[in-house]
Parts: sequence; structure tokens; C-alpha cells
Amino acid sequence: SSSVSTQFDLKGYWTTLIGEINQKLDEAIQVQYPEKIYEAMRYSVLAKGAKRAPPVMCVAACELFGGNRLAAFPTACALEMVHAASLIHDDLPCMDDDPSRRGLPSNHTIYGTDMAILAGDALFPLGFRHIVSHTPSDLVPDARLLRVITEIARAVGSTGMAAGQFLDLEGGPNAVEFVQEKKFGEMGECSAACGGLLAGAEDEEIQRLRRYGRAVGVLYQVVDEVLKEKMKNKEKEEAEKKGKSYVGLYGVEKAMEVAEELRTKAKKELDGFEKYGESVVPLYSFVDYAIDRGFSVGDAS
Amino acid sequence: EEESEESRPTFSFKSYMVQKANSVNQALDAAVSMKDPLKIHEAMRYSLLAGGKRVRPMLCIAACELVGGTEAIAMAAACAVEMIHTMSLIHDDLPCMDNDDLRRGKPTNHKVFGEDVAVLAGDALLAFAFEHIVVSTAGVPPARVVRAVGELARSIGTEGLVAGQVVDICSEGLSEVDLEHLEFIHQHKTAALLEGAVVLGAILGGGSNEEVEKLRRFARYIGLLFQVVDDILDVTKSSQELGKTAGKDLVADKVTYPKLLGIEKSREFAEKLNKDAQNQLSGFDPEKAAPLIALANYIAHRQN
Repeated sequence: SSSVSTQFDLKGYWTTLIGEINQKLDEAIQVQYPEKIYEAMRYSVLAKGAKRAPPVMCVAACELFGGNRLAAFPTACALEMVHAASLIHDDLPCMDDDPSRRGLPSNHTIYGTDMAILAGDALFPLGFRHIVSHTPSDLVPDARLLRVITEIARAVGSTGMAAGQFLDLEGGPNAVEFVQEKKFGEMGECSAACGGLLAGAEDEEIQRLRRYGRAVGVLYQVVDEVLKEKMKNKEKEEAEKKGKSYVGLYGVEKAMEVAEELRTKAKKELDGFEKYGESVVPLYSFVDYAIDRGFSVGDAS
Repeated sequence: EEESEESRPTFSFKSYMVQKANSVNQALDAAVSMKDPLKIHEAMRYSLLAGGKRVRPMLCIAACELVGGTEAIAMAAACAVEMIHTMSLIHDDLPCMDNDDLRRGKPTNHKVFGEDVAVLAGDALLAFAFEHIVVSTAGVPPARVVRAVGELARSIGTEGLVAGQVVDICSEGLSEVDLEHLEFIHQHKTAALLEGAVVLGAILGGGSNEEVEKLRRFARYIGLLFQVVDDILDVTKSSQELGKTAGKDLVADKVTYPKLLGIEKSREFAEKLNKDAQNQLSGFDPEKAAPLIALANYIAHRQN
């Protein structure tokens, strides 16, 4: 499988999709009265350099089963909206108190804590509304749409990402794996599952996509932490964030071992999609990219 | 069934309210159960089950029954609307927003669980509202549920609840706020979700487009009515009577109907809104419309 994925132009695939998704997000959040809230929402959703990993994975999972990309775009955008909403709230002073995100001031730093809370509160429902109003009804039956909505609501909810953020703040023994699974695995799982649901995949296939997406979501986070740690070491900076991370717990070497295990796990799931031939290749390439990072995504936009 | 009219007692709003509030409270209790992480679910339940008047769920159920649906069909949507309402109160009470210590006669969510958990409990209720309406609405074609999800989302986002809150926050301390501006705030901050409640019930109950739109107009009137009455109560009642901080609009230097129109004219305005609302129901079977008429009167004449 790795020989196939080396020939696949992941960068081109990804870049094209990012362009389309950015344009659709831009159209979905047009500034109107009261302007301030739309500006705050746009600031985070349209932040430059976003990898758009959840929407791209959703589209790729939909296309795996021969689903039309147009069927997946509204859900892909919704994933990015709810994702942005949780990040805005995670950064708040009463939460992680992060003044910056992706190298830019975080939402509340620019718009104030009250607007940041409301921007998040508005992005969640906008995501659901976008799915309902923009998904072509000739491509996706209503019953499938309802499953997608449930999937996203569950992923961001009290047993999903909100639970992850809560445990991240509260700490406690053995919280690391749970926090990582919930904060990062959940979004990957949800993105892959939504793509499959939109294409009408079988339940067993959806389960496989869930396990794949969860592994990939955590994998990206682990590697991100390793890369950050390596940069930090160069500057001889000690400060370990209070957040729960594999690197903080195990150190870089063990974290890379965890990453390799996740890579193997994710690919094993994809081996079950052999019958779909070439269309599984993008999903493989996301896995390798997570570790290799052969090029940078999103920066150009 | 029509023959039983003589034996049927006239509509008793009080027993209707008690019965519906009981079934809504039971449904809410069952919908959000305790599970891991316990503290978040505890915080969600704390505010959700704090004994609100359940006006929104009742409107949802009554609208559903009016167009031929049942309580059971509307219940998940009714609970979803109450979850959203609760969520907006939790976030609204936060120190960076209205900074309120008291809600429904109890300490506010962040006072009990901390700000971080209050933000997360609100987010979780928001998400769960959508999950619940989709998963727990039974016996209705998927197309209706999809339409209901869209309406619910619209009523709470930047074209609804949030828009009202944003304009409200931005107008604090402004010296010149006119009636139109005030109406925008309330049409969004309060009326939008009441409209959502009614429209969701009407859609899920199988109402025709014409019926849905009539009920939508009804809801807009009572939504504004609700806020006008709230403003009047804020200046005429004590904190104890209200179960929340009284006079806070004055303290916050917020513009209100009494401030713009005076108490008397505000009361007249409220009466007119109530009448306009009830006019929208004239095309429906009066007996079936009785709960909505009573709810409108209740909103107009409530004391807290």
C-alpha cells in the first residue's frame, strides 16, 4: 500500500480541497448586522494556515464509497465550524487561557471574552443549519442527514470533546490517553464517519472508519506535540504546558513509538477497504503524512 | 368524540400547565442522565432541572397538538428547546457576560461548578439538544425532523438568540437607543426561541405551511410580549418575587420598554401584542387553540 500512496499527489489533492472548502466557508459566513459577531466567527473559521483536516477527511471518506464530493461539502464545512467553536471556547481565560492560536491572537484576545463565547455558541448551530440547508437532497436522503447530525452533536458533546476538555482542565491520574482520545480522536472519528454516512456506507464500514479516524486524529496530535517539543528543546525552554500530552508524560522517544503504533492501527483498518481500489489511497496518505510531514499544508492560502 | 362536549369540563389552564410541566420535567430528567464525566452532567442537570416555568416546551407541545400531533411527537423537540434556553441562561450569567449570581432562586451555574464547567455544560446542552431531537423524535417522517433541526438552528444562531445578545451587549451604556433597536434585541434574544418552540411543534405535528406560518406570527407577538412583561416586572417586582436579580436592567443601564415608553404605555403595548397574537389563532378550532390562548394570557399577566 505504501508504494501506491507515494505516487498519489496528496499535496495537490489536499490543496485543491482546501481551496474549495475555504471558499464555501467564506460564503457561508457573510458579514451582516450585527457585524461584530460575524467578524468574530470569520476570524477563527477562516484563519489562514488551517489544514482543514476534518473536512478533507470527510470528503475523502465519502469519495471512498463513490459518493459525490458535492454531497459531502456542507458537512465538511459544518465540521470546521463546530471545530472552530470548540477551539474558541477552549482558549477562553476561564479554560486554557491561551492568548494565541496557530500563531495568531486567539478569538477573545481580539473580540473580547463575551463575543468569543457567543461566536462559539453561534458556530455550533450554524454548522447544523448549513448541513440542512446546503446538502443536495437528491444526493443524500433525509434519514442519512439525521445520522450525520447526530454524529456531530455526539462528537462535540458531553461525552465527546467537551468531556476531553473537562478532563484536560481537571487532570487526574491516567487522564492523558482519555484526553487525547476525546479532544483529538473524536473529531477524526466523526469526520471519517460522516463521510461514510453521507455516501451510504454499511454500518460495519462506518465502524471501520471510526477506528481509522480516531487513530489518525490522535496521531496528528502526538506528532504535533513531538515537533513542538523538538523546537522547544532547541531553545532550551523547559516550560511544559499544564495540558495533558503524551510527550509530557512519556518523552519524545516513547511518543514516537505511540505514533508508529497509531500509524499501523490506522492502516490496518484501511486494509479492510481493499475492494474499493484506488479510492482508498487519499485516506492512506493522510496517515503517512501525519508522521512524515513532507510538505506544509494550508500555508499558501 | 365531538358529542362529549357537554360532559367535558371547560379548559382548565392550571391543570394543563401542571400536567404538561410534569411530563416535560420527567422527560428532561430522563433525557440527561448522570454519566462520565459526572461533574459536567451534574452541571447540565443542575440548570436544566432547576424548575423553570417550561413555557417554551409547553408552547411546542401545544402547537403540535393544535395541528393534529401528539404530546409524544413534540416531546423531544420541546426538551431540546428547553436545553437551548437553559444553555443560553448559563452562558448569559457568566462573569464576562451579565455576571449574575442568582437564577431561578438558586446560585447560577458557574457559582456552583466554576466558569470552565459552566461554559462546557452550556456547550454540551447545545450539542445535546440537536442529538436529542434527532434521536428521540419518533413516529415522524425524517423530512420533518430535518426541517425542525434547521428551524432550531436558525432560532439560536446569528439570526436568532445570539444576534439579540450581541446587539444587547453592544447597546449597554449607549445614550440613544430607539424603539426599533430595542425591538430587534427582543425579537432575537427572546422571541426567536419562542418562535422556534412553536414552529418546531407545528412542523413535527404535521401542520400545513399556512398553519406553520400563522403560528410563527403568533409566536413572534408573544415573544415580544414576553419581553415587554419581563421589563415591566424588572422595575415593579423584588428579587425575591422574581427569583432572579430585580432592577438589574436599571443597574446595567439597559434600555427597556418602561424606560422608553413609561410603565402605563408599556402595559398598553403588552395588551396590544397579546391581542395581535390571539388574532393569529382565529382560523383554528377554538377548543384546540385554548392552550395557546391561555399561554398567551399567562405570558401577558404573569407575576414573575
